[in-house]
Amino acid sequence: MLISRALRGESAAYEEIVQRYQQIAFRTAYVVTGSSADAEDATQEGFVKAFRALDRFRIGAELRPWLLRIVANEARNKIRSSGRRHQLELRLTEGFRPGDAAPSPEAVAVASDERRRLLELVNSLSEDDRKVIASRYFLELSGEETAAALGVPEGTVKSRLSRALARLRARVEQEAARA
Amino acid sequence: MPDLEQRLVELGQGLEWPATPRFRVEQLIPAPGEVGRPMRTTPSLPRWALAAAAALLIVAIALAAFPPSRTAIADWINLHVSIQKVQTLPTPTPLPSGALGSQLGLGLPFTLENAQRQVRWHIEIPADLGPPDAVYVRTLPSGGEVTLVYARAIGIPVAGETGVAVLVTEVRGTIRGDYFAKQLGQDATIEQVTVHGRPGYWLAGSPHVVMFQDASGEPVPDTLRLATNTLIYDSGDGTITRIEAYTTRERAIQIANSLPVR
Repeated sequence: MLISRALRGESAAYEEIVQRYQQIAFRTAYVVTGSSADAEDATQEGFVKAFRALDRFRIGAELRPWLLRIVANEARNKIRSSGRRHQLELRLTEGFRPGDAAPSPEAVAVASDERRRLLELVNSLSEDDRKVIASRYFLELSGEETAAALGVPEGTVKSRLSRALARLRARVEQEAARA
Repeated sequence: MPDLEQRLVELGQGLEWPATPRFRVEQLIPAPGEVGRPMRTTPSLPRWALAAAAALLIVAIALAAFPPSRTAIADWINLHVSIQKVQTLPTPTPLPSGALGSQLGLGLPFTLENAQRQVRWHIEIPADLGPPDAVYVRTLPSGGEVTLVYARAIGIPVAGETGVAVLVTEVRGTIRGDYFAKQLGQDATIEQVTVHGRPGYWLAGSPHVVMFQDASGEPVPDTLRLATNTLIYDSGDGTITRIEAYTTRERAIQIANSLPVR
């Protein structure tokens, strides 16, 4: 088990942990800070703190939520200490097409336009709503991990997510009615 | 999963995220005897750099205790640094080729608009060069560093194998700063210049490192990516601007003068 090997001081094992989780850790920190620079710092500092705290990790527990909690804490500290608040704004990758099918150019254009409009609606929500939606659906974090990322209890994640989805759904329906 | 939630998951799969930096264990795990000390991606300062920085800092503070002019301090630093040569030089590590500037270790690529969101100062574009071909942002030095990369510029050749003609770097320098220091290689010369009425330096030949005080007050060495003629000056508002290119002092100053005054 990786964590046991890392606890025995095998740096290769910790390196594997870093490689495995660096992307999700960095993106989680990015969702929290809205700044890639702050996210990079927070992730790095989080990995350092996690390494130092390895002996306190409860064997048998899930490693990923534990790591994400540490990194997200660092990300929130970063915002507090710098006094900066970047607005999280997400963009679509150009040319992205989900699925393996080869739809017609018209279908691609329609789907692309729908995604763009949905993202605009997400971006129009409040910061708290955006963060909970980004954590849960865009990063596909578990409820426990989302709670760790946002620094709130899991129950709060559920209620916050429910309200955010309701507001988003209302805006989607409003836009559909206007169209 | 209800339709809206499914659509959000699919939307997430097509989002553009900033590139994940590579976190290397040797930068994360403290070396034996260094437990408890935070590790940063910034390379540790060589002894010569620390010694030079400490000496410059002490004298700068001593001078600051009197009311000398800013020029007097800059003159002193210029004289002092110009006679200090180092035998071994750090050189940029060659990296695999890729997008323009990606092999130069300039940080993460951003659009200009997104780069602006990463830093607290307003990124200025030299009118002489126009919009950059690529923009990179680094977290460190403290306060951040933005580099505008140009593949072409009138009258300036492309540098070596990099495919880059000009690099314009804006870095958060000393806020109370009346000093920055430089360490040059033996193949470089230094000359004091003025840009927008502010003190600057023209480094000609093959300078490899500039040294300055970052936003947190730490002396920081920064590798010159093209290792060629470089204009560096205090652009005001706590920011230092650097222009690297195989060009003349006059052309570099022309580019600098096309930047708005902060």
